[in-house]
Amino acid sequence: MGFDGERSGGSIIRLIDNTLTSFDYNLPSKEDLYAFSEYLFTIGVDAVELSVKAYERMAKLRDDRKYILDIEFADEILSYPGFYRYVCHQEVHDENRIFELQMNDSREIVKLRALRSCKEIRIVGLDDIMCHESYEKYFNEIINFLPRSTIILNPENTFGCASAIAMQWATDFGSNITTSFTGCKNNAATEEVLMALRLAVRYKPNRDLTMLPEMTNLYEKITGKIVSNKKPIIGKNIFMVEAGIHADGINKNPATYEAYDPCLVGGKTVLVVGKHSGTRAVRLKLEELGLPELENEIVEKLLNHIKDICTENRKSLCDEEFINLVREVTDNEGDQIHR
Amino acid sequence: MKETKYIVDTTLRDGEQSPGIALQIEDKVKIAALLDELGVYEIEAGTPVLSASEEEGISRIIENKQNAKISVWSRMNIMDVQKSIRCKPDIIHIGTPVSYIQIYSKLKKNKVWVIKSILECVDIAKSNGIEVTVGLEDSSRSDIGFLLSIIKELRIAGVDTIRVADTVGVLTPKRTKELVETIKANTDIRIEMHVHNDLGMAVANSIVGARAGAELIDCTLFGIGERTGNCNLYDFVHACDSVFQFAMSYKQIRHVEQQVYTELKGAM
Repeated sequence: MGFDGERSGGSIIRLIDNTLTSFDYNLPSKEDLYAFSEYLFTIGVDAVELSVKAYERMAKLRDDRKYILDIEFADEILSYPGFYRYVCHQEVHDENRIFELQMNDSREIVKLRALRSCKEIRIVGLDDIMCHESYEKYFNEIINFLPRSTIILNPENTFGCASAIAMQWATDFGSNITTSFTGCKNNAATEEVLMALRLAVRYKPNRDLTMLPEMTNLYEKITGKIVSNKKPIIGKNIFMVEAGIHADGINKNPATYEAYDPCLVGGKTVLVVGKHSGTRAVRLKLEELGLPELENEIVEKLLNHIKDICTENRKSLCDEEFINLVREVTDNEGDQIHR
Repeated sequence: MKETKYIVDTTLRDGEQSPGIALQIEDKVKIAALLDELGVYEIEAGTPVLSASEEEGISRIIENKQNAKISVWSRMNIMDVQKSIRCKPDIIHIGTPVSYIQIYSKLKKNKVWVIKSILECVDIAKSNGIEVTVGLEDSSRSDIGFLLSIIKELRIAGVDTIRVADTVGVLTPKRTKELVETIKANTDIRIEMHVHNDLGMAVANSIVGARAGAELIDCTLFGIGERTGNCNLYDFVHACDSVFQFAMSYKQIRHVEQQVYTELKGAM
């Protein structure tokens, strides 16, 4: 028996999130830990992995959820009974124990030969598996070395490929993966893998991801870290659009320039006016802000002003700046007309 | 012996399209000079039709260039191509929508119109002695049959290089491999990979694309670009410089990043 099923390609994908093993140095309140773990289950994580410290802070866990405890040695299990699984850093062959093995690069895969009797094993690392020869060859080697084991892959992100490795392993090879929110444990990012699986193989398409912005806020509050504005899926600026061709395309049909509907992840398209905007974007912005329609000639003038000002200030315009500029240009035009 | 791969840097075009920044002429000239010195094969310098100032910036980059090829981006539109020709770049890159959603929903045209339009644009640029690359926009969501047929027409028209553009960033490594391998197996066109990072897979997809046969890889400094950005130049070279031969090391890229951080930070 493995982690809820078979482990070859085509079987049910199972995702463990280990974010709650990363908060030990700045342990949040019990309420925040609960809230964060509930968010993880809501977005589609199958099991949440906890550190002992996080578990002790939470004190009681919901019976209808799958929790995994991260321990150093197998004998610690006696002190913490009742978990769905235990991740141990020493070789174990018992039910409900996942042996975690660090493999810094793909040359170490051959060492798996000696671990054929492990029932369940988690391989951490293999950052470089996408960088060398065919990654499929390495994935097949792993499976061939451990024909009877459930293999959970927890790829690390030294080369920026962890989410791709996790996603590809889950869909075509081993089904079981470990990730963390934002990839904060230097592994694959849970939200990226969930969205990639959703788009590629319609994995859990009915899961509600709209709370990702609140989840990100909670993550920032707990860790004191700021998530990058451009972070896939959860970055604050990822649905901003400025380029004329894109603004026009999105207005006609959002799917032309967006991989998925921003509403799915609690976001929305934001039209920004700047150096790369065209007349269409200016008109759309006027409409969005409830400003009156302008003649073509005035829109052209306005656009030229926008481009000059944005280039001079090296940035796009905020709505307030746009409104002021519209007033400036239309007042000027008015003066000229009345003269 | 490692296989050589060529970097096409699009910081000054796709990178600058990221909301939040607007580069001045001096900024663009400075960044282009650093990229040229770094050993970038091609610098996509901008979009001439944007403004007179953009055109001037591109012309200054072309005047100052040392070894890099300088390309400009153009819509599939004769007026735009003519404006690009005025800048006298080494390459005009013409963005050509190839997915049905782009052709029928955005342009409200059809496949025949797309092929006719791109061939007209190619002809105008080539008759002015300028090399053309064609960017197959939204390749990742296109019908492979149409993709191959347009590539065959382009080859006949004398186009040597096409850009496989994952415009909305939905490729995965497996799909990337299939796509590039299919184009390689059916045509003799040179392939340039252009991916976006919407699913956090831009570096992995670029590596897999390069392995499958793409010779040129599009990147940007700091990975800036539309939405979540493009393939990050530093991350890409760092990830695969043990496999491919590049004109630069990732440490040199970091050094360039340090010198242009102020100009580009608005896009991060």
